[in-house]
Amino acid sequence: MANRVWVAFKADVKGFWRNKSNVFWTIAFPLLLILLFGAIFAGSGTVNVPIAVQDQSNSIASHAFLDALNQTHSVSLTFIDRNANIDQYIHDNSPSVVLIIPDNFTSAFVPGAPNGTATLQIRSDPTVQSSGIALGLLNGIAQQFNLQIAQGGNIIVLTHTDIVQKHFKFIDFFLPGVIALTSMTTTIFWMVSVMTRFRTNGIFKKLMTTPITRYEWLASQILWQLVVVFISVGVIVLVGVAAFGMTIVFSPIAIVTIVLSSALFSSMGMIIARFIRDEETASSAANAITFPMMFLSGIFFELSSMPDWLQGIAHVLPLTYVGDALRDSMVYGNDAAALGNMAVVAVLAVIFFVAGVLVSKWKTE
Amino acid sequence: MAETVITVSGLTKRYGSLTAVDAISFEVYAGEVFSLLGPNGAGKTTTVEILECLRPKTAGDVRVLGMDIDKQVRDIKKRIGVLPQDFNAFDLLTVKENIDYFGDMFDKRLPADDLIKAMDLEEKRNEWFKNLSGGLKQRTGVAIAMVNDPDIVFLDEPSTGLDPRARRDVWEVIRNLKQKGKTVILTTHYMEEAETLSDRLGIIDHGKFIAFGTPREIVDKYGTGARVIVSNCDNVCCDTLKEQWPQGEYKGKDAVIRLENKNALSEIVYTLDRSGGNYEQIQVTRPTLEDVFLNLTGRKIAEEAAANGK
Repeated sequence: MANRVWVAFKADVKGFWRNKSNVFWTIAFPLLLILLFGAIFAGSGTVNVPIAVQDQSNSIASHAFLDALNQTHSVSLTFIDRNANIDQYIHDNSPSVVLIIPDNFTSAFVPGAPNGTATLQIRSDPTVQSSGIALGLLNGIAQQFNLQIAQGGNIIVLTHTDIVQKHFKFIDFFLPGVIALTSMTTTIFWMVSVMTRFRTNGIFKKLMTTPITRYEWLASQILWQLVVVFISVGVIVLVGVAAFGMTIVFSPIAIVTIVLSSALFSSMGMIIARFIRDEETASSAANAITFPMMFLSGIFFELSSMPDWLQGIAHVLPLTYVGDALRDSMVYGNDAAALGNMAVVAVLAVIFFVAGVLVSKWKTE
Repeated sequence: MAETVITVSGLTKRYGSLTAVDAISFEVYAGEVFSLLGPNGAGKTTTVEILECLRPKTAGDVRVLGMDIDKQVRDIKKRIGVLPQDFNAFDLLTVKENIDYFGDMFDKRLPADDLIKAMDLEEKRNEWFKNLSGGLKQRTGVAIAMVNDPDIVFLDEPSTGLDPRARRDVWEVIRNLKQKGKTVILTTHYMEEAETLSDRLGIIDHGKFIAFGTPREIVDKYGTGARVIVSNCDNVCCDTLKEQWPQGEYKGKDAVIRLENKNALSEIVYTLDRSGGNYEQIQVTRPTLEDVFLNLTGRKIAEEAAANGK
């Protein structure tokens, strides 16, 4: 079995290098994307999100939290008087993000405390682009705190945690989106076109006369698409770093997410291919699926700035979870949230693969 | 009698209300070339694709090499070789790489170079598949069909779309397969191909056999007797012939007259001599499978094939 997967995989590699336009687009498409985003956002300089903070707790714990926030070098904090009326303040100052640390913040960190939760209140203006970034940062730090507490660490340790300690440029926030997009378009377009071609030119029929199974062949295609996606990601990273001085952190979670995403969208391609009759329709169908997903899944725009109904759509689109997992892991350093999103991607990948194998038919009636 | 390698009884394939294959039965013996001959849409490809385990049957019993086509698919695939209709391999792989690709799918296979030699493809060994001519593509297809050293080779319309020379090359390949002791199942809508290559054949139309046997048996049974072709007649000759044999076919300066009995030929020659007219030659032809088909169905197989764009 492994042998047949390998044979089919090798044929893809050979065919790929012999088709020069294939090679060109595999490299040119991500290159275009990153250059485009780089050109648009590189000028934005470093991110600096203003956050107004009302520290009602004014404790060691709350100071530690704010320190961690400051460590990101991506925020500038303004402090509001403990007793000020927040609504009045918002009315008077129109801040884009307000963080309220409650009175009982410390008690949440006392082991065995009766009321072991502290609710951080965040108010943000969804129309301001940077507020989404603030939300991401705050969320990341909060998750990190929770993790530390759950593991029985003490508060002092918290001040030392490096969560997001780099200077982020605006473009850095787009990099995970570009990678997510590439992993989707590359695989969907490949699977739809190769499956439609092989069905119409009779290669599937010929394959059916040999012992290779659909599972084996599909596995070889997913394996091959992984390689192509990583070539594209490599191009993106190289250009991003060389041309725009991007900050790129690859955690194992990000790598695994890219792998799962490639499998997920390859499988989605198989399902789409099932409903395509000829090669001409193949690419329009792939476009019809990938284009809306690109804009609706929040890989380039913060979901929180979208209307509710659009957010609803975004939450059922697989690409949303790929983008979130990558951004959580690569930008916010929020491994807990990244793992959660990655798990969603993994489950979807399995579901789509099984569905893809079940619906894709070689046999003619 | 040779061993029976394929047994088909009451094979039926229906698509909704359309019956593509209508309860046909036949046997194929080891080492023979067996052909299914008929116009497009007659049910040839449907029949062989069921035997190749590529399509499910609706009803009937089919055994290939003694095995059940529904239950022993994997075992059957190891022992048959298939050149599908409108065969294609990977465009950007060479002849050798394509043979290896399909060969490596099997646990036991023949070396690519042996097959390349057998199919006379040495010069094209490292040529990309997409750059080959139609005939060479088909030969590569046959090489691939042979890669698992099968007992039975299915060739579905192997010469369709080829020029006459390439077609003859394919015929040579098929004769070689037979010489190697392979059983060959051929589908074709070319009468000449079926006639020259087959040991036995079935003429199929609307999913049913309308004639079955060796080419000779079929022609003798359903043919219309020999015909005389008198070519390049002058007016005198033509008029005389038309008068005496009004049922003949007259096209321009040529006359075709069916021989009703043994004396007819000498009568024609005698009549021509006596008429004092001139003609170029007299030719006697045996009826062909084409005549059989025309005789049985009132249609011409080749015209139908042409009408279907083949």
